[in-house]
This record gives sequence, structure tokens and C-alpha cells, in this order.
Amino acid sequence: MVGEGTAWMEQPGRATDTVSGSGGPTVRARGVTKVFPRGQVVALEDVSFEVRSGRFTSVVGPSGCGKSTLLRLVAGLISRSSGELEVHGSDVTGPRTDIAMMFQRPILLPWKTALENVVLPRRIRGKLADEDWREGRGLLRLLALEDFRHAYPQHLSGGMQQRVALARLLITGADLLLMDEPFASLDEFTRERLNLELLRIQSEVEATIMFVTHNITEAVFLADQVLVMTPRPGRLAGVVEVPFGRPRAIELLRTPEFNDLAFKVRGLLGESI
Amino acid sequence: MRTREEQDIRAVELGTAEPVPVGLLRRARGAWPAIVVFVLLIAGWEAAARAELISRLVLPAPSKILVALIQLFTTGLIWEHLRATFTETMAGFAAGAGSAFVLAVLSSFWGWFRQIVSPYMIILQVTPRVALAPIFITWFGFGLMPKIVMAATICFFPVFINTLTGLLNTDEEALEMFRSMGASKRQIFTQFTMPSAMPVTFAGLKTGITLALIGAIVAEFVATSQGLGLLIDRFNFRLAMEETFAVLLVLSLLGLLLYGVMEVLDRRIVFWTREERLSKKEIRSRRGREDTA
Repeated sequence: MVGEGTAWMEQPGRATDTVSGSGGPTVRARGVTKVFPRGQVVALEDVSFEVRSGRFTSVVGPSGCGKSTLLRLVAGLISRSSGELEVHGSDVTGPRTDIAMMFQRPILLPWKTALENVVLPRRIRGKLADEDWREGRGLLRLLALEDFRHAYPQHLSGGMQQRVALARLLITGADLLLMDEPFASLDEFTRERLNLELLRIQSEVEATIMFVTHNITEAVFLADQVLVMTPRPGRLAGVVEVPFGRPRAIELLRTPEFNDLAFKVRGLLGESI
Repeated sequence: MRTREEQDIRAVELGTAEPVPVGLLRRARGAWPAIVVFVLLIAGWEAAARAELISRLVLPAPSKILVALIQLFTTGLIWEHLRATFTETMAGFAAGAGSAFVLAVLSSFWGWFRQIVSPYMIILQVTPRVALAPIFITWFGFGLMPKIVMAATICFFPVFINTLTGLLNTDEEALEMFRSMGASKRQIFTQFTMPSAMPVTFAGLKTGITLALIGAIVAEFVATSQGLGLLIDRFNFRLAMEETFAVLLVLSLLGLLLYGVMEVLDRRIVFWTREERLSKKEIRSRRGREDTA
């Protein structure tokens, strides 16, 4: 549906080493534990991992495994009970401008147009300049929504709304993007399309992404590494490296190598699903 | 190649599944049963009154009420009273709704403030405020002031409770999103909490404005030197039923006007809850602010 985005889809398996394996650590977690005070619920126990710069990390697991909690900890929206958590080498103590988050629902403001919603993060940071509007419009163009920039969100489809939310995420300029099941509420086809768009955009903006999902196929297809989590209490069962090059095409899903990796992830989830 | 305007129209239209008829003509076409019933009702009433089936002390003929109404305006008798009642209602509404709004905002900010204030709000609400009218007369005399105070107290509660409900009933995930953007408390309030409370606030304002009119009239009934309430009281005392009904009609129209103004403001300000698509003109007026790029 996006002209420039389709060309590479026809060349599956084209080897590239531009993204995977590059860069130093963006996120470093050591023994991160989160206990919710009410009822002493252990949401996360002793979680350690690293996310290197420019890489795509999926976090997969069944509900109650603490994957959303983990993302909110990295975002600085909630505080950890113990352990170390650093982003770009500095301790996470609260929301930061180098970290941005996208949620399962688009959460667009119905009294603002698509474009006004996109530039919201800039408005929060200060007065809007012409440059901000131009960038917002450019991002909507990137997501094939430029024609809809004056439409109100309630007049857009679910997929379009989530693309507006994606543009709003990108305009923050943050290089660590946290996505909490962003396409989970969309239908299968829309989700697949948006996943491909996300990969294209990531290679364009060179961001580091942590992507929470409960879908194993999606987790493996998108990522350079998959954090596999199990519930009660939330623990990191293992980290699976995904060696496939980029760009990736949907045909990758049919290869035995892909299925082996998906089964490996499933094996780590074990009895928890 | 489409023009920008066509694209915008298309954009807005694409989202709406069912076209909603908006034109005045189409609306009128759907209203004819109501109009027919109304005409029959008035005609039946007129006939019954002329045949003296009903005493003129109970229900005077519509035609006579109309004559009385015209006289009220041609003699200029009504203006002074209409102005008084209108002033009382508007001033009372401004004071009542304004203070309700401020207190609701403060209550939404601080839990401790809400705890201190809410018992008084509830006491005020459960007390029949009509019973306060004589006290207000004692305190503030026979002028406009006791009526303004009465109108204010009676319209206070719906505005307060609606605004507070709207402000407290916010989407937790949206608040989280704003915090992740690094928004300050003030920004969250102006950019999100306040606008999202507007639909409920307006429901309270619409109830409030009609209640303010009631408050003004009630206080006028107790004691006054002018106002539509006084006029009704005076005509009724003389058994001048045609005039009484004429003033009643003026009151209804005044109430309708006040409510209508609030309704228009509601639709303008809280435009996003509307089902219909926006008109071409509205789309044009909403653009421009942002289209410097």
C-alpha cells in the first residue's frame, strides 16, 4: 500500500549486516525486580538483559508474565523495587526525552486532527514552530496518511489511527521506542501490513525498538533478539538471537529456519502456555 | 489530481458509514406528524374555549392569549420585567456555574480539598433551596441580589458534580501516555483532562441554565419589585388569565432561548462527539491554524 515500501518485499533473504549486531548497549538491565505493594505481587523477578543500539528486540510471553511492566519500567513510568536499569548509560528515574512509548490503543485526542495529534509531543515540549508542522506532515506522508491530516481520529479506521499514533511516536525523535502490543487490537491483515511498515520505518529512522507481543511469529519475524518471558512470577526464560538479515519479506515465515526459531521460543515458554 | 479541499472532504467522509441528512428542509419533512398534532391540539383548545366547554379561568383561548401577548409588548409593560428576570438568571448562572467550575477543578486536583468541600455540596443539594428564598430576601432586600443568589445556588450543583465527574473520570492509559511524553501536571490538565471533561460539563451547564431561571422566578414569587414572576403573580391575583398565560409563554420562550444558546455552544465547543460529518465550511475554518507547512 506504500509505494516505496514494496520494492524490497520482492527480494526475500537479501543479506545485509547494517542493522543486526551493531552498536553498544542502549538498555542494560541487571536483576530488575518489581513488587507491586498492594498484595505484594511479584510482577518481575531478577530480570537481566541488554538491548544494543539500533536493534529490534521483541518481548514475548503469555499474559501476566510482566512484559508490560518491564516496558513501563524502561519508560520510567513506574519505579523498580530493586536492580539496575540504565538507558544510554544513565539510570532511569522517570520519563525521558530519549525514550518514547506507544500503547495498545492509539489514544488519539478526538478534538485534534490527525496532524495536530502527531505534533502533540512537540507541543508538550514547547511552542510549535513551522518546522514541527512540516515534520508532522512528513511523517504522515511516510505512513501514507498525508491526505488524512485534517481528518479527526474518530473518522479514521483502527489501522489508520494506530498509524497516526506511530507518527506521533516517531516525531518525539527518541532513539529508544517502546511499543506495548501496538497492533494487537487490529485485524490480522492490517497487523501484518503495519509490521512490515514498522520494519521499513525502523531501518529509515535507525531507532532501537523494544516491542511487546504475545504472538511468537510476530516476535520472531520482527526482531534481532527475542526476550522470552514466563509468568508467576514474571521471569526472563531466555533470550533467542534471530540471525536473519534485513530487509525481511513475508516469505521468511515459510522457511524451515524461521520455524525452528519459533519452536525454540515456544520451547522456552514451556509449560506456561 | 484532486484539490486539497476535495481531499479533505474525502478524508472526513471516508470514516462515516451512514450519511446523516442535515439540511433544514429534510429535517422539516420528517417533522410533519409533530406539526399536524400541534395544530390539531391548538385548534381543539381554541374550539373548546369558544364553545365555553372550559372556563376562561381554567384555560383561556389561544387567540386571546396571543392578543394579550402582543399587548404586553406593544404597551412595553413587559420589557422592564423581562430585563430584570433575564439579568437575574444570567448573573446567577454566571456566579453559580463559575464558582461550581472552579471548585470542581480544585476538587479534582486535591483529594483533601474534595473531602472538605463535598459534605457541604451534598447538604446544599439535599436542602430544598426553594426554602432558602425567604432568607435570601431578608439578607439581600427586594432588589436583584436575592434572585441572583437564588439562581446561583440552584444551578450550582449540576455544574459542580458534572464537571468533577468529568475531570476525575479520565482514561488512565492516556494519562500514562502524557507522562511518557514528559508533560507537566498543568499541561495534562489543559491538553487532556479539561477537554475530555467538556462533554459532561456541558450536560451540567445545560441543566444549570434552566435551573437558574427557575431559581430567579421562585425568588421573585417570594418578594420583588419587578420581574416576570411578579407579573404572573399580579395578573393571576386579578384573575387576568390571558395575561398570565402570555407571561408564561414569554418565560417558556426565554428558557428555550437560554437552553438553545447553551446547546449551540455545546455543539461548537464539543464538536467531536457529534455523529454527523463536518460541513465543508467547518473543515475550512478548522484548517489554516496548522497549515503553515
